[in-house]
Amino acid sequence: METPFTRPAFKPDAAFASAAERFFELLKTFGMPGAAAAGDAQDWSSLAGTLAGQFEAWLRSSQSAGPWFAAANAASPGPGGGFGAAQPGSFGPLPLGAGAAPQQDAQRTWDLFARLAQLQGQLASHWSEIANSAARRFITRLGAAAGGAPTLDNALKLYELWVNCAEESYAATVRKDDFCRLQAELANTSAALLVEQRRHAETLVRAFGLPSRNEVDALYAQLKDLRRQLAELTDAVPARGAGAKRRAARAGGTRRRNRARKPRA
Amino acid sequence: MRPFAPGAEALFPELTVRIAATLARLREVQGVTVGCSAKRAVWSCGKTTLHQYLPLAPAPPRARGRPVLICFALVNRPYVLDLQPDRSLVRRLLAAGLSVYLIDWGDPDDAERCLDLEDYIEGHLGGCVRHILDSRAGEALDLLGVCQGGVLSLCYTALHRKQVANLVTLTTPVDFHTPDNLLSKWVQGLDTELLMRSANVPGEVLNGLFLSLMPFRLTQHKYVRLLTGNCDRRTLEDFVRMERWIFDCPPQAAVALAQFVRWFYQENRLARGTLRIGGRRVDLGKIRQPVLNLYALEDHIVPPAASSAMQRYLGSADYTGCGIDTGHIGMYVSRKAAHSVPQRIVAWLKEHSS
Repeated sequence: METPFTRPAFKPDAAFASAAERFFELLKTFGMPGAAAAGDAQDWSSLAGTLAGQFEAWLRSSQSAGPWFAAANAASPGPGGGFGAAQPGSFGPLPLGAGAAPQQDAQRTWDLFARLAQLQGQLASHWSEIANSAARRFITRLGAAAGGAPTLDNALKLYELWVNCAEESYAATVRKDDFCRLQAELANTSAALLVEQRRHAETLVRAFGLPSRNEVDALYAQLKDLRRQLAELTDAVPARGAGAKRRAARAGGTRRRNRARKPRA
Repeated sequence: MRPFAPGAEALFPELTVRIAATLARLREVQGVTVGCSAKRAVWSCGKTTLHQYLPLAPAPPRARGRPVLICFALVNRPYVLDLQPDRSLVRRLLAAGLSVYLIDWGDPDDAERCLDLEDYIEGHLGGCVRHILDSRAGEALDLLGVCQGGVLSLCYTALHRKQVANLVTLTTPVDFHTPDNLLSKWVQGLDTELLMRSANVPGEVLNGLFLSLMPFRLTQHKYVRLLTGNCDRRTLEDFVRMERWIFDCPPQAAVALAQFVRWFYQENRLARGTLRIGGRRVDLGKIRQPVLNLYALEDHIVPPAASSAMQRYLGSADYTGCGIDTGHIGMYVSRKAAHSVPQRIVAWLKEHSS
């Protein structure tokens, strides 16, 4: 899923509109018509339930587009891409005929997608814990702020309180060891998926006689080694006045003299 | 009872108008420019470019004293240090008559997936230092490292003591295992071998990770706050400039990132004295230069304890550590810090200029 925070070209207006929409939704919940009269305990629990539900939905949507899933999103095949689009049924090796990945490779990739889905399920239980804890904190602290006139200032004060509660609940959960392990496993599985898919691609490019990423990496390593050897040899030459050139060569750098910088691609 | 007294619906039309107006104004200022001081590229290596800032007023080069080289983090763009005239560390340094250079690491492409920390520290940072010293016939410069760039600067200074006269570090972690370091907790279980074998890490992934440290404040609350008070055009322009910088993260070379995670976050090698770059041990105890270390007291990325620990490991007898009452990013651009941080740096460098 794409959110304003995961788009390559970030648009602050889109992020603002999204946050404002959430804020609006929250205010509607605060002023829910039909809520019970003063002191009614059932009213609080109903409010807490609604808040927790909305909050959990937001956590799920924004975090599934978060850092750990981004790699999997980028790597996922099929129309639309994205983790959500990568259902086991829709996934298969790249359909490029002769070089298509062997069956066992496709199975391994399928397994990794399945593992990601499993981990996402585990993550969802943490979102639920955070959302419920935040709603409880909010209700507990509401106290004197409750029942105020519906002005924008009061709305923002309530919102501030809500954000504090949300951050505190979030911080309490995400510092736990099991959450940290889960986060790491999500990242590792996403990375493994990427590596696996690159392996498929390598098989394909080899079939077509194209240079592969591994071959380019090997060339890069060779080049680096040659540069190092050159620097050592240059250092060994006791030529007077060659210091600047030697050092420049060692760094592989180029001096620019008052010329405009080339635009980057 | 409910959070609002009955009649909350009356608020919605007013709120809708305010949201629409803010949205329209945000769209109006989206074209703001970033970066304000004139500079020229003087050296490059791969995607790394060394920039020299032009002096604000003509002055004989000797009057400008020892050059200052700013080494920013790999994970963000350095233009935040020169964002706009009233929030520019670079400009304040130039105004103090200093000769300022800055490293822009650029965007490593897929062919540079295997760039490692030795390449960055010895090749790129080292190349910049050598170029500056050669071109100015100098023996040493002042190095100003920011965040991860501070870590690279510490490594470089420990390995090349003669080339650095004074070291300034901003929001720079040294002890990566302090209990309040959430980022460190999260990455302990990362498989760095796998990370090395995968592709370069897109900037959005890392940025998403940073935002995940405080998601409600950083992806919701700060936007809703635009609805409060007088959000004039200038305030919105400042806001959009910061947004542009926050979401403009370069990709990370896979190998260098994996090494950084493993060596620093997982194994805490810098603090433990077990870090080796290019086969040489990085011993912070060998840093005997004067060091000014500024850290943010409300930093959610580099906790103050991670940075203030620096003093314990340095060999320098002239160490000044100072906590600033702001957050990680506020250290570079908040109105409060925009004045006090450059002032401290300039005063300290002048004190240590001889």
